[in-house]
Amino acid sequence: MSRIIGIDLGTTNSCVAVLDEKGVPRTLVAADGERTIPSWVSWAQTGQITVGTRARRQAVTNPAATIYGAKRLIGRKVNADDVSWFARLAPFRIVAAPNGDAWVRVNGQPISPQEVASHVLRAVRKVAEQALGEPVTRAVVTVPAYFDEAQRQATRDAGQIAGIDVIRILNEPTAAALAYGAHRVRQGRRLIAVFDLGGGTFDISIMSVDHGIFEVLSTGGDSALGGEDWDRRVQERIVDEVFDQYRVDLTGIPMAMSRMREACEQAKKALSVDRETTIQLPFLANDQHGAPINYERMITRELFEELTKDLLERLEPPVTRALLDAGVAPGDLEEVLLVGGMTRWPAVQDFIERKLGKKPSKGANPDEVVALGAAAYAGILAGESDEAQLLDVTPHDIGIRVGDSGFATVLPRNSMLPVRAKRLFATTSDNQKFVSIELYQGESQDLTKNRKLGQVTLDDLPPGPAGSVRVELVITVDVEAMLSVTAREIRTGREASVTIRPSGGLSQREIVEIINRRRQEHSAVGKLPQFEGGAMRVTTREYAIARPDEDPDEKK
Amino acid sequence: MATGALSIKLKCASWQQLSTIYKRDLMRGAMFLKASTPPAVGTQVRIDLTLPSGTVIVLTGTVEQHVTDPQRGSGVELKLAPIPAGTIWMIESALTAEQGKKRAQSPANAGVPVAPLPATQSGPVPAIGAGEDLAAAETDLVRALVAEAESLKKLNPFLVLGIGYEANDNDVRAAFGELTKRYHPDRFARYESTELRNVAAEIFILIRDAYRRVCDDASRTQVLTSLGRPSGAPRAIPTPTTMRATPPHGVPRPGGVAKIPPSQIPPITRVPDRTTPLPQQAQPSSIPTTRVHEQATKKPEPLPGRHEGNDNTTKKPEPLNAEKRPTGTSPPPGSVRPATGSPAPVAETGEHGALEDMLDQGRFDEALSAYRMLSKKNPNDRTLRAGIELCEGLAALAQRDRLEAAQRFEAALEIDPSNERAARELAEMRRQATNERKGLLSRLMGKKE
Repeated sequence: MSRIIGIDLGTTNSCVAVLDEKGVPRTLVAADGERTIPSWVSWAQTGQITVGTRARRQAVTNPAATIYGAKRLIGRKVNADDVSWFARLAPFRIVAAPNGDAWVRVNGQPISPQEVASHVLRAVRKVAEQALGEPVTRAVVTVPAYFDEAQRQATRDAGQIAGIDVIRILNEPTAAALAYGAHRVRQGRRLIAVFDLGGGTFDISIMSVDHGIFEVLSTGGDSALGGEDWDRRVQERIVDEVFDQYRVDLTGIPMAMSRMREACEQAKKALSVDRETTIQLPFLANDQHGAPINYERMITRELFEELTKDLLERLEPPVTRALLDAGVAPGDLEEVLLVGGMTRWPAVQDFIERKLGKKPSKGANPDEVVALGAAAYAGILAGESDEAQLLDVTPHDIGIRVGDSGFATVLPRNSMLPVRAKRLFATTSDNQKFVSIELYQGESQDLTKNRKLGQVTLDDLPPGPAGSVRVELVITVDVEAMLSVTAREIRTGREASVTIRPSGGLSQREIVEIINRRRQEHSAVGKLPQFEGGAMRVTTREYAIARPDEDPDEKK
Repeated sequence: MATGALSIKLKCASWQQLSTIYKRDLMRGAMFLKASTPPAVGTQVRIDLTLPSGTVIVLTGTVEQHVTDPQRGSGVELKLAPIPAGTIWMIESALTAEQGKKRAQSPANAGVPVAPLPATQSGPVPAIGAGEDLAAAETDLVRALVAEAESLKKLNPFLVLGIGYEANDNDVRAAFGELTKRYHPDRFARYESTELRNVAAEIFILIRDAYRRVCDDASRTQVLTSLGRPSGAPRAIPTPTTMRATPPHGVPRPGGVAKIPPSQIPPITRVPDRTTPLPQQAQPSSIPTTRVHEQATKKPEPLPGRHEGNDNTTKKPEPLNAEKRPTGTSPPPGSVRPATGSPAPVAETGEHGALEDMLDQGRFDEALSAYRMLSKKNPNDRTLRAGIELCEGLAALAQRDRLEAAQRFEAALEIDPSNERAARELAEMRRQATNERKGLLSRLMGKKE
């Protein structure tokens, strides 16, 4: 069997790792030396698809068909709050699929976020295959701890489209804790915080680690706060300065904006280490007289921090709430683990120390630590390693509809999987002929706010006054979040059952259709991404994240 | 007695013998040596162990203590220096290979490691050896797991987790963590069979439910109350052996791990003070370390509703001295039987305690004759009849006859479903069987456990 890789499918960047021969997780590096792959996918007018750094560069020239942040949409309804927020912000169109899911529209075609993510996963898979020199078909993929069943399943579906069997979905903070070796410290129960400030999102998780068992106690965060916001602040400052000096509005010049964005990111990285750096942007644009604007400016860390002060303040409320939710005082935390490149920023580390009273642990590369944890768990699943066991939990209450729109919880959230819960229900009217049990997931007492999972109907109930006929409901959820429901009438033993696979919004038929369509596109081009003799076919010297068959430059 | 280094040559005539030595001694890093004139404690010993194949394995160790093993007579307990992994591997692979050969010849002749258990024996044990059919090994493992799930279903949460009734939060979590690492379906993800994962999930659900029922003080109290056990017992007693030194006051349980003020003992378990002195003797080496927790849970537990009509017999006063002394409880010198006012109506729970002490010390024959005698007097007492089966089972287990042992324990449970010890032994045996099969399957697949 092939090796199982660990994939961190991020909002802005993705990363892949695998256990090496010594059982140590190791990041797989793309041929061009990149250790992470931007989660960007770009469609050219011709339908050719680019992924990664090149796709991100195309955002300037082709913003409407260059998709990023698919993770914000995957498995979501278009009317969800943060989806609408993202829709207002994104330069591409976000549309509603017939079932209400959020899709994107690219060159007039609606495309599911699963499919967008699958392109990223395929690129990641390709990096792994090139680095390992063998085909890769199985992976452990990480998702944020707050992802619901639909989002998790949609992520699995993205894997399937990319030709990857996602054998386990893992929570990101758990993966990070595993990679940091939080379970190796041998003492009773320990509380840790995982502070994840990435490119586009901020997540804080409070976890407990005990005898190799990880448990996420609470999560919080701000899905609209990330390292890119820091860059944007400086970028806005440059725009202002250029306007003051030259009366030129750079916001209307995509190429300038793109260059500034990259320069600001570089400056931020430099300032994480140094006290000051210089932003140089020669020939940024032309002034009103047609003369070139050569922008050059020295920037200090103090100024950068000044510009982004309010962003730092936005970190505080989610942290406080996560601690409260977990019932944990900052002093109880034994360790704070850092995830995401933005946690390298000194002010962020200072904030953590101030707020949580702990110097954050810096033992690992925050960009890669989640993928490393996923690889470590892949090793455990493959039987190559034995050190820890992660326990997945049900992310939401699972229950049934009672009365008109009431919700009765049968399986509370945070139940360790696999799990089985039983509950007895009685008929509500005399001589009731059947019961129809509708299953919902969610925390709200108001049924309409919860997500319907499916239903099971038990008919031919024995006659009797209301409340005399009893039905036992058994809900089982397995490690892969597959839900089986059995309803059994106690007296007659008559039963009905249904197995509900969590739905990510795409039906199995739709997924197969996407795969087939891809295959046809491939054969139209005349090449199938296949292995000959187990070795990877490398078409060009330069590694490209796009599929070679789809990139005209590489068809040689 | 020599004080210098001692050199001993041992020859294993059969693989069976090697397997016994390996399981009983080497695996726990110690060894029992029979000696009429035992060398002094601290003596260095070098053992040249010749395997049936002719290979010689050198073991070194020091004499740790002098012991009198009821099964094997008097001798010394050696603490062995760590055995090199290579040596272990050699022994293990020799045993596995040999076992495979034997199985092919006759299943009944199978070596010790994978003896069939009653619940799993729906026919001859499939031949499973290195290089042989994976599927057979897998089926075998599934059956072992199913059997284990069945036995776990009969146990209370404490027994499922293998913890004492006095366990604290940390003990519970540690036990849960260990079992999770062993039974979580993810631990079976490496095998092809989905059935394996499903059965493992069943077991994990049992473990998980048990954990949830006893994971904090309040819930433990509740469970203990429902079991008819006193709760709120002080629990500053980490090891059974240290407790043994402290004569318990009002503790009906022989292991006496928890001290329970008499006032807290609920009626159902109320018995006069324990009348048997606690042995000061160290644990005999024949009791596997895996059964440490048993110390805590000795008394056959009168679960509510389990004793249809037999309740009175379990509490029937019983003249104790008559039976006790002759059966050779032989209290250590200096210990005094506490006066209980009137010695005649000593409740037999105290007696059970004494009997189980015997079992703890491996004096199965003595315990057996005691149980037989008692049973003759009270032919209606199920607990005693179950006790007979239990003794037979433990004796069989000591002889490494696991098939016999498992059958005996099952019989004991059939007679008296509340016989905790039989339930626990059975669960433990099944757990071992599962582990061995899992290990075997992993080896067949070329993966490490």
